[in-house]
Amino acid sequence: MTELKESMKKARARLKKRHAAETRFKAFGIGALAFAFLCVVMLFTSIISNGYTGFRQTYVQIDVFMDEGIIDPKGDRDEKALRSADYAKIVRQSLYDKFPEVTARRDKRTLANLVSSSAVYDLRDMVLANQAVIGQNLSVWVMASDEVDMLVKDVFKRDEPENTRPITNMEIAWVEKLEAENRVETRFNTNFFVAGDSREPEQAGIRGALIGSALTMLVTLALSFPLGVMAAIYLEEFAPKNKFTHIVEVNINNLAAVPSIVFGLLGLAIFLNLFGMPRSAPIAGGFVLALMTLPTIIIASRAALKSIPPSIMEAAIGVGASKMQAVFHHQLPLALPGILTGTIIGMAQALGETAPLLMIGMVAFIADVPGTPFDPATVLPVQVYLWADSPERAFVEKTSAAIMVLLGFLITMNALAVLLRKKLERRW
Amino acid sequence: MKPMTKENAIDIDNSLHINNEMTKPDVTSMKIPADQVKIKAEDVRVRYGDKEALFGINLDIPKSKVTSFIGPSGCGKSTFLRCINRMNDTIDNCSVSGQIHMDGVDILSKQVDTVLLRAKIGMVFQKPNPFPKSIYDNVAYGPRLHGLATSKSEMDEVVETSLEKVGLLKEVKDRLLEPGTGLSGGQQQRLCIARAIAVDPEILLMDEPCSALDPIATAKIEELIDELRGSYTIVIVTHSMQQAARVSQQTAFFHLGNLVEYGETEQIFTSPEDERTKGYITGRFG
Repeated sequence: MTELKESMKKARARLKKRHAAETRFKAFGIGALAFAFLCVVMLFTSIISNGYTGFRQTYVQIDVFMDEGIIDPKGDRDEKALRSADYAKIVRQSLYDKFPEVTARRDKRTLANLVSSSAVYDLRDMVLANQAVIGQNLSVWVMASDEVDMLVKDVFKRDEPENTRPITNMEIAWVEKLEAENRVETRFNTNFFVAGDSREPEQAGIRGALIGSALTMLVTLALSFPLGVMAAIYLEEFAPKNKFTHIVEVNINNLAAVPSIVFGLLGLAIFLNLFGMPRSAPIAGGFVLALMTLPTIIIASRAALKSIPPSIMEAAIGVGASKMQAVFHHQLPLALPGILTGTIIGMAQALGETAPLLMIGMVAFIADVPGTPFDPATVLPVQVYLWADSPERAFVEKTSAAIMVLLGFLITMNALAVLLRKKLERRW
Repeated sequence: MKPMTKENAIDIDNSLHINNEMTKPDVTSMKIPADQVKIKAEDVRVRYGDKEALFGINLDIPKSKVTSFIGPSGCGKSTFLRCINRMNDTIDNCSVSGQIHMDGVDILSKQVDTVLLRAKIGMVFQKPNPFPKSIYDNVAYGPRLHGLATSKSEMDEVVETSLEKVGLLKEVKDRLLEPGTGLSGGQQQRLCIARAIAVDPEILLMDEPCSALDPIATAKIEELIDELRGSYTIVIVTHSMQQAARVSQQTAFFHLGNLVEYGETEQIFTSPEDERTKGYITGRFG
């Protein structure tokens, strides 16, 4: 009796310990979650607080005189002449007129840089669109230079000492004069979404990278999805289980862990040097990323196929379906949600990949928006990398804005994966 | 490893003290007129890799009757059943030798097309396994595969008669387009039988069709087997001796990969000649 009591006591003590261990484990779990959540919040706060201004752009209103003597000295309205006229002079003149007190040569040059060089193209486009504006006085809104933009967005602080900020007191005085006349405003930065890359931060946009990413993803998907799913079906359902297929399987699993830059080097050696694909082009990038995505898709597809109960296959074969019919009529449709999830996760991974694309030249500065997969292009993550590397302060917000766009795409893709899975699963 | 033979199989059951040679004539003693034989198995041997599962089965299965296979777990009765429609082909390391004649054709030969064979020999599995599709599509799948119906109305008819035959039509008439997986267990199993007979097979193989069902659903299936007997040759594997006694005309008792005794069901259950059969049906082992 006493012995029993003794063991009960021990059991109770152990129980207490067990409960304590359980509570401790739960606390660790909550702690880990809280830490992860904090990190995510910090990441998003940092990106958004840096980047939201990237979606806005400062514009300045200037009064220009469309001097016929400058635009069309011959007066024959020849389009070629109109195209190559010295509109920069008109912009400069307008600023000199606005600030007649500026006389020193150096100050004048600084003054001319108050507005973006894109003002020149704005004026040219106005003339080409409507020749009637020649010879008139116009009041036009043009983009401010990146420095003015930074000042207006309060990134460059006005109350800092002059020698520690990148903009001079003189320039601030000019901007303040314009602000007093309501000639400065910030608007939604449509240019960011319609323009390609540029050396001038205020003119740089992500359209080139967006289209480049889309084209690259298209090539990747078109290659890796059918190949991956076919390989998975063959390995899972048809391949004889022998040493050779075992080696293939092991290698596929290993490929998933190969550093992505190695795929880039492979792409450089095979696709560019051997097959002569165009450098910096989405077609080559798509091939490289497809190689990288294939193991992910194959592994996910095989897991999805394996998860379908064998009784379904037996049922189909039992009524006289061939193996291929049984797979394509029953197993594949049932495994599709899993396969799609794996594919989208693989694609999301490919969308965020930078390193292998550096190897095949997609890191080049390309201002044009690509039209086909054979044009030189860059992709979103590489664009982020390029901008993050640029010295101008205004590229910081561009970088963060581009990251936000990239994250938006990734979140959309993952949401799509969840949605597709939900929708397809409901069918049975 | 020494292959397991009939002799040492008996050693395992040495408490029964039986002379193997005495029992052997019983296996072949059951006389079925040659014109009544639907399936004739001769020396069927099956091995999974190194492990032998069946040691030469000789068995005649009569036409339009129900034959049941009984025996303890792992005795090879399901394995033998799966030989009849070449289902074992789908298992990688499984090899089958011997001959199984169906209407004079050796269905184990390489020339036989398994797809056509399985259309002639339907199978119902242990666990109801309807496709996750509509009831209609479940039944229509086989006929569609084999092109048995040329028009929609013809297909409708095939589906309806098949469901009617298994007594399911009344119950599901208004929800033919609802998923087959939404039915109850017993209904699902009857749907699977309807799916099997929709391609108009000659033989129905049933691998413990009631083991996942409750008694009422089991009774319905047994009733159905009795009704289908006239039109199909039915072979059923069962763990329930009562079921074998209720539904079958012939019973074969398998033990450790051997066919021990085969005869009229009544005879097997009332006066088994082999001690092992006796031991099994009286519940002494199994």
